[in-house]
Amino acid sequence: MTPPTPAHSTPPGATLAGRKLLARAAVALYPPAWRARYGDEVSALLDDSGGVLAAVASVAWRALPAWICPRHLHDRPARMRSSVATALLAWSMLAGLGLVFAQLIQLQSLMAPGYVEVRWAHAVFSGALALSVLVAGLGGLPLWLLILRRARREHRARDTLYLLMPVLTPVAYLAGLAVTGRLAGDPNGESLSWFLAVAPAGFAAAAIAAIGPGLALRRLQPQGPALRLAAVAAAVAAAIMAVAAAAIAVAEVILCQWARQYSGYDNFTTPGIYLALVAAAASVAMVSAARGARAALAEP
Amino acid sequence: MTGRLDRWADPPLLVLASLADEPRHGYAITQDVAQTMGVRLSAGTLYAVIARLEASGLIEPLESDDRRRPYRITAAGAQALAQESERMSKVASVARQRLSTRLGWAGS
Repeated sequence: MTPPTPAHSTPPGATLAGRKLLARAAVALYPPAWRARYGDEVSALLDDSGGVLAAVASVAWRALPAWICPRHLHDRPARMRSSVATALLAWSMLAGLGLVFAQLIQLQSLMAPGYVEVRWAHAVFSGALALSVLVAGLGGLPLWLLILRRARREHRARDTLYLLMPVLTPVAYLAGLAVTGRLAGDPNGESLSWFLAVAPAGFAAAAIAAIGPGLALRRLQPQGPALRLAAVAAAVAAAIMAVAAAAIAVAEVILCQWARQYSGYDNFTTPGIYLALVAAAASVAMVSAARGARAALAEP
Repeated sequence: MTGRLDRWADPPLLVLASLADEPRHGYAITQDVAQTMGVRLSAGTLYAVIARLEASGLIEPLESDDRRRPYRITAAGAQALAQESERMSKVASVARQRLSTRLGWAGS
């Protein structure tokens, strides 16, 4: 085998440190599973190449295709773990956005019999949300229990906490909501201003609840049938939520035409931003979950 | 003429050809391809190709104690390289023959 024979002159200390920093930054642009597999090798290659800026730039440039069309399916467990974590986060954001829609149309009395399409969209969203929760819950429960048991057995307090986030965070959020509602003199949360004030907190809680298991997956690195089941369930749940997102999008477009007398629908800016967020969350959930399912179902 | 054929070269084929005789790591591949085939492979392109070839089962990594992990060509990779080389030989043969007929070019 040809031994490594770097053919470059070593740059001065400060320049070398700067180039190494740039090389690390370029590698950091890649997906976690890719970095885990090739990160050290690419760093070594960049070191051997003398940290030439063109080489670093070529590595940075290739990070985008690595996200869009990952080729590292041979690392299937890492791919599945990444997909489950990403799909869970995107799914949570999508569910949150859908709940905002559902709550707002109720607060603005847009569920009246005259708005058939809106009622229909609300029904589709509610059904899809319930079904996807069921699918994600049933599919993810074995993996969750498996790694929770392992975290407890190995006395990994931080991982145990991460895994309990989906339970603890909603409970804390709802408790905080009840207390805040009473203090604000709006225990049922019926005013629009109160709702808009607590909605960001809801998104933060959903993000924390979703990120916890993702961090635990990354640290504990589980493998096996439970991970495959979770990856497939994530794909099915994401597909169901994509249907909900489509129903919401249709309702929003209709409301922009028919409900211009209502705040928020008198121009397309707010619904446009909202729809862009829905589309982004649905796309991330679908793409990531599809990659995970592909890795789960691929021939070993 | 290093780099002149970059636009037309097929990077996966270059990497397979580089690994055809012995295992090499990333830097050794870029050096070998530049010196023997006259094509400069960038670090980004090289590892995009390595990931693709490894996922396709055409190359495989070897154990290594340091960060420079060597790769070797698999049986499937050797077969793919042989088939592609054969096809390229035919293309080159036809090209030389026709250029010779049309332009009186004798080739090298």
